[in-house]
Amino acid sequence: MKTYVGREAEVQKKWYLVDGQGQVLGRLSSQIAMILRGKTKPVYTPHADVGDFVVVVNAEQLRLTGKKLDNKVYYRHTGYIGSIKSITARKLLDKKPDEVLRSAVRGMLPKNSLGRRLLKKLKIYAGDQHPHQSQQPEVLTLAK
Amino acid sequence: MPRVKSSVRARARHKKYLKLAKGFRGGRRRLYRSAREAVERGLAFAYRDRKVRKREFRSLWITRINAAVRPLGLSYSRFISGTKKAGIALDRKVLADLAIYDPPGFARIAELARQAG
Repeated sequence: MKTYVGREAEVQKKWYLVDGQGQVLGRLSSQIAMILRGKTKPVYTPHADVGDFVVVVNAEQLRLTGKKLDNKVYYRHTGYIGSIKSITARKLLDKKPDEVLRSAVRGMLPKNSLGRRLLKKLKIYAGDQHPHQSQQPEVLTLAK
Repeated sequence: MPRVKSSVRARARHKKYLKLAKGFRGGRRRLYRSAREAVERGLAFAYRDRKVRKREFRSLWITRINAAVRPLGLSYSRFISGTKKAGIALDRKVLADLAIYDPPGFARIAELARQAG
């Protein structure tokens, strides 16, 4: 018998809801990345998107340990000479709270078109409201 | 002794490589020198990857078993150690298949593994 190959069309995708309040950024991210990738399901298939959706609320209340709020710096380059921009985690969390978590999870996903598609299943919101009620997301209990 | 020119052998050789280069892109399908390089490289990869495939599948089964077994309160390593102690002779391929097609049966195996482990 051949090993099962997951097809994106036939795999059921669930929705999970996570409250970001007080969660440590990296620890939460690695679990979210596992779910998006599908590694929490026995139908896991490396080349297909079989993972579930994750909704995160209260993203602005994530926690960073140590001095990372001020020492962790996010860089991006506009493409123009001398135009590298930087922003500290504290400022980014204030300005775009969703981007802090998204960039952490992005770093844990494959760096290819599949990875970019997987990231689209992550929905991040500041505050405790989210527009995905009709998907009936299941509250996620975090493993340790 | 008759004179031998190389054209017959050469044509046969060219044909051999160009035949194997079917489906390649551009000059790598049409030009003998490019085609030969591409074919030799391709065959080398194919030889290596027939062995790599076995490792990759084993690692995929392990990932799947781990995913299936964690909701049941075991880690992969504890589970496998348990199956060995319980004398369950199923290999990783079969276990991974069971986890997908027969979750209740898989759960029973996990329970046996837990008791033995």
